[in-house]
Amino acid sequence: MSETTASNRALADTALRSPLGEFWRRFRTKRVAIGAGIVLVLIVLTSVLAPWTAPYNPTTPDYQAILAGPSWAHWFGTDAYGRDILSRVIWGGRISLWVGFVSVALGGVAGVVLGLISGYAGGWVDSVIMRFSDVLLAFPGILLAIGIVAVLGPGVTNVIYAVAVFSVPVFARLVRGSTLALKQSVYVQASRSIGVRGMALVLRHIFPGTLPGVIVYMSLRVGTAILTAAALSFIGLGAQPPSPEWGAMLADGRSYLGVDDQLTLFPGLAIFVTVLALNLLGDGLRDALDQRLR
Amino acid sequence: MSRKLDLSRRAMLGGTAAVAGGLAFGDLAHAQTKSGQLTVGVAAALMTLDPADANDTLSQSAARLMLEGLLTFDKNMQVVPLLAEKYEANAQATEFTFHLRQGIKFQDGTPFDAEAVKINFERIANPANHLKRLSLLAMLDHVDVVDQYTARCVLKFPFGAFIPTVAHPSLQLLSPAALKKWGKQIGRHPVGTGPFVFESWQPDTLKVKKNPDYWQKGMPHLETVTLRSDPEDGARIALLRSGEAQLITPIPPQQAVVIEHDPKLALINDPSIVVRYIAMNVMKKPFNDPRVRQALNHAVDKQLFAKVVYNGFADPLLSAEPPHITFYEQQQAYDYNPEKAKQLLAAAGYAKGFDSVMWGFNNTVAITAMQFLQQQFAMVGVKLKVEPLEGGVMASRIWNVKKPDESHLEMYYGGWSSSTGDADWALRPLFATASFPPSLYNVGYYSSKAVDAALKSGLETADPAKRGAAYATAQKQIWDDAAWVFLGVERILDARDKNLEDAYRLPDGGLMIDAAKYA
Repeated sequence: MSETTASNRALADTALRSPLGEFWRRFRTKRVAIGAGIVLVLIVLTSVLAPWTAPYNPTTPDYQAILAGPSWAHWFGTDAYGRDILSRVIWGGRISLWVGFVSVALGGVAGVVLGLISGYAGGWVDSVIMRFSDVLLAFPGILLAIGIVAVLGPGVTNVIYAVAVFSVPVFARLVRGSTLALKQSVYVQASRSIGVRGMALVLRHIFPGTLPGVIVYMSLRVGTAILTAAALSFIGLGAQPPSPEWGAMLADGRSYLGVDDQLTLFPGLAIFVTVLALNLLGDGLRDALDQRLR
Repeated sequence: MSRKLDLSRRAMLGGTAAVAGGLAFGDLAHAQTKSGQLTVGVAAALMTLDPADANDTLSQSAARLMLEGLLTFDKNMQVVPLLAEKYEANAQATEFTFHLRQGIKFQDGTPFDAEAVKINFERIANPANHLKRLSLLAMLDHVDVVDQYTARCVLKFPFGAFIPTVAHPSLQLLSPAALKKWGKQIGRHPVGTGPFVFESWQPDTLKVKKNPDYWQKGMPHLETVTLRSDPEDGARIALLRSGEAQLITPIPPQQAVVIEHDPKLALINDPSIVVRYIAMNVMKKPFNDPRVRQALNHAVDKQLFAKVVYNGFADPLLSAEPPHITFYEQQQAYDYNPEKAKQLLAAAGYAKGFDSVMWGFNNTVAITAMQFLQQQFAMVGVKLKVEPLEGGVMASRIWNVKKPDESHLEMYYGGWSSSTGDADWALRPLFATASFPPSLYNVGYYSSKAVDAALKSGLETADPAKRGAAYATAQKQIWDDAAWVFLGVERILDARDKNLEDAYRLPDGGLMIDAAKYA
């Protein structure tokens, strides 16, 4: 008798924890991920508040200080036009982060919708959507993005579309997979048996179940998106001069490698730290959210 | 011998890595220097070894190892005789007679004579052959074989710039027997009279070896020459520093300091004839007003342009053509004066400035230059949008436009190098009314009766004094009209092993390595 009570109490305790609380309980032990999260928040804040955090205007030249190394006046040094590299990295963060988050959000939303439809509807709808995803997946991501930008024309907005498009099939596959699994789960079967159908079933019961995977993948995907956007800018298809996008800054500084390394070192570090932080955070999120790992 | 053994043992130990590798390279480089081998790292792939079918300076330079022309250029881009001993022209500049050097044979044993000149020149001038350099000899009617060693070129119309045209590397001579044997394949099997004989050509490597029967006794000094194509600047510099190459061309201006600081290397820093300018569409507002164009000339600090864009490795451009082109006349500089620029803009009705778009190529240097110009113009109120374009897009937007009013060009950041070294090709394609696209390259649609007349009279005689006067008039008029924003003249920047001598590039960018040797 007493044994039953104890186990009931344990059950009640678990039930009292909200999903968010459950997540936090698991996540807070991941110190690396939390550290990465803090770094990321700092980067985002510094970039978003660029008008206040950047010491100089990112596009105003100072011909008296061309190619200066790091100093107290210019912590990261200056570029070929005497522009302050620290300020450019900060302002460039706005563009890179914006491209990363927005493109993944767009691609993620489209992919989730397609994945839910595909997994829930099955049959020919599933076949059509999945074959379409296969076609997109068959292209290496960067190649597909180059193709899209080549058609739409260079520019940050088009880079967002390009990166979004190549995120769609991955999200679609991921969500379709979990949808198929969830469709067979007891609680969904139970809902079905009491008459829940269609949209309501998908949105209320299946969609929330796919979220952990989507969130983890999004956090990892933002890093990829930032890298892709930087690569596109590096080859001249993304942000246009004098925009301080990180990839464009690398392209600008490439010919100074070995001579004035501050031109490539700092934007390169910015990309590196941001993407690393996103990946570490993503790993932590996966450990905390992924059911398969429990 | 012991060194060789040592080397191979190091190679076998391979894993001991970078340090051993560096040593091995150093030894190899030394061995190459001793045995008269030269490897040149170049920036692009060769297109063909038939110079008459090559549009690029590099392919023509490669052909120059094996082939020779009647005339050639010396280091200062002055015409000097090569296979011809002397030449003369008639007063109307319609007939040019060349007296050939005797006793020379092509590398396949075919004798070099007036018949060979006739076959080569008429091959290029024949439109049915579709050679890329047809335009160079479009004025040629036919070649008369006066006697075995005298060839007379008869032109369809007067062309005073014919002599520098003949010195152009595209008109280097191929063996008539080889032309007959290989037909359209001649570009892979070049046979000339030059100091080196063709050995092999893979996509990125051309190998030639010494011609033992070369007519200039004691030449060449080298046993073999290899051209290696590597488009990445950093990779070429690594080739040179590791000793795998003894000459690399070109190097980016930003890297010059790396070469200067290396005691084993030397920087080649010579004047070029590559001019940098902004062409403006003078048929469109606001560029139809000469005051606006003059204002923009005053708005750019050219010294700073050289410093920011070319790391200091550029000269001022003080006429529509650069100093190493014939009949150069220096003009009165448009000094850097933003106040004056603003006044001129105000006088033209643009007191508040205006918005415009600049097109240019999408390479690093061009983008740097356009960003700099964007900053400079902003200081006088001209807001510039910069659009770096890919080559094909550029061609369709500016050179292939059918009519002037179909052109959407506002400003174009461009460059030009007159590969004949003559004032005619430096000015006529860019400033004559007859040169509007799509026929030639006057993309700003500049048109001046005075300039047209001067350019025409410059071609109607071969007399240098009369030609000089004509081109002086043209240059002054173009300058005063501010047809361009005149920015600068690039410099030739290469790097070589300190022991390598007499290998250089001409001001037009053409490589000259036939007389190269090691100290």
